[in-house]
Amino acid sequence: MKTKIIVALLTAGVLGAGQSALAHHPFAAEYDAEKPVTLTGTLSKMEWVNPHSWIYMDVKQPDGTVQKWTIESSGPGAMTRRGLKKTDFVAGMSLVVKGYAGRTKPAIANGRTLVLADGRSFYIGTVGGPNDGADKQ
Amino acid sequence: MSQAYRESLWLFTVTQTLHLVAVSVFIGGILIVDLRLVGRRAVGESHAAIARSAQRVLFWAGPAVLITGIPQFTSNALRYYASPVFALKMSVLAMALLFTATLRRRVVTADNDRLPAWVPRAVGTVSLVLWMSVAIAGRWIGFSE
Amino acid sequence: MPSILPALEWLEALAWATAIRESNWGYPIMETAHVASIVAFAGVVMVMDLRLVGLAFAQTPLTRIQRPLFPWQMAGFALSGVTGLLLFVVDPLRYYGNVFFRVKLVLLALAGFNALGFHLTIFRKVGRWDEDPLAPTTARLAGAVSLLFWSAIIVSGRLIASNWFN
Repeated sequence: MKTKIIVALLTAGVLGAGQSALAHHPFAAEYDAEKPVTLTGTLSKMEWVNPHSWIYMDVKQPDGTVQKWTIESSGPGAMTRRGLKKTDFVAGMSLVVKGYAGRTKPAIANGRTLVLADGRSFYIGTVGGPNDGADKQ
Repeated sequence: MSQAYRESLWLFTVTQTLHLVAVSVFIGGILIVDLRLVGRRAVGESHAAIARSAQRVLFWAGPAVLITGIPQFTSNALRYYASPVFALKMSVLAMALLFTATLRRRVVTADNDRLPAWVPRAVGTVSLVLWMSVAIAGRWIGFSE
Repeated sequence: MPSILPALEWLEALAWATAIRESNWGYPIMETAHVASIVAFAGVVMVMDLRLVGLAFAQTPLTRIQRPLFPWQMAGFALSGVTGLLLFVVDPLRYYGNVFFRVKLVLLALAGFNALGFHLTIFRKVGRWDEDPLAPTTARLAGAVSLLFWSAIIVSGRLIASNWFN
């Protein structure tokens, strides 16, 4: 019995050590922690849904074109607990989103920080990602 | 080298998935006894033999749960360390383990005719609630950012 | 063949489906109930399968384990089914297009056929082999297949949430 527990713990330790530090969670399979982005633009649509919300924004590029970004963010429960309301998101409003860009898909990001036009800043991260929660405002 | 890196991205999800299967078998081993304790036919039926076999299931599934649970913790240590729901899960787990190893074991191996009918029902219910709470808290970690 | 998409869109637009989709607590509670009832149901099924394949409870007659558990199994399956159906309606288009969801449903159907086949044939004669530590070959096969299917159902269910192959 004791041997089984020891073997189990050792195997678990090896399995745990074998995971790259960036292999946090499914986050790492889709988004790249080495590609932080800051997106400034206007809100096109906000899907306030479970399990994760989706922010769609128009980001004006330096060359004048508009790039449409999709940002995955926390679900309604977490948003509400952090002080946000569905009505805080009005189509056309200005906003800034900081997050991490997608690994392979273009113009997609995992959102971490949201800054509204009135200056209020919120953590909008989903589970996983680097510094797990340490980058909260 | 990049192959290993890509594989490690999958590792968390794979270990978590295996954790779910191991947890299910473990919970099955718990429920197979607890549901007998709370069932209508509990009186007069001896549970000792079934409980002994169930314990063997727990002794195999338990380490599997550990092996697949620990890597999830180490890969996300900061977050779990700060999570009150994870702390709750671990506390309830400790209570469940203690209860199972002491009171529940006594009741399950006892001669059924000597126990008032409410005792196995109460013990079975407490065990059920404790263990299902561990499983539920485990899922709830993901909702409690 | 007529497209199912308009029907799915209609479901998605239902008031209660939208309410759950946008809820603070409703969705987490429902999804947790779904996962918990599957863990309980599949867990009991798989442990009984261990008896069928001869890996556990060998000294106990199968029916002594199976009979008291059967009503609980049905209740657990019903709860998983109802919560699963409700969850589907909350986001039908997403699940309809998800490969792991489709695989899970196929596996569920196959597991059901396996169980039905077992109950209608070899289990009918269980009186003859109830006490044998090693059940007849067809029963052991049904148990092994069930173990495989239910593990796979749990795996594919978890992978629905992973966004892979979207």
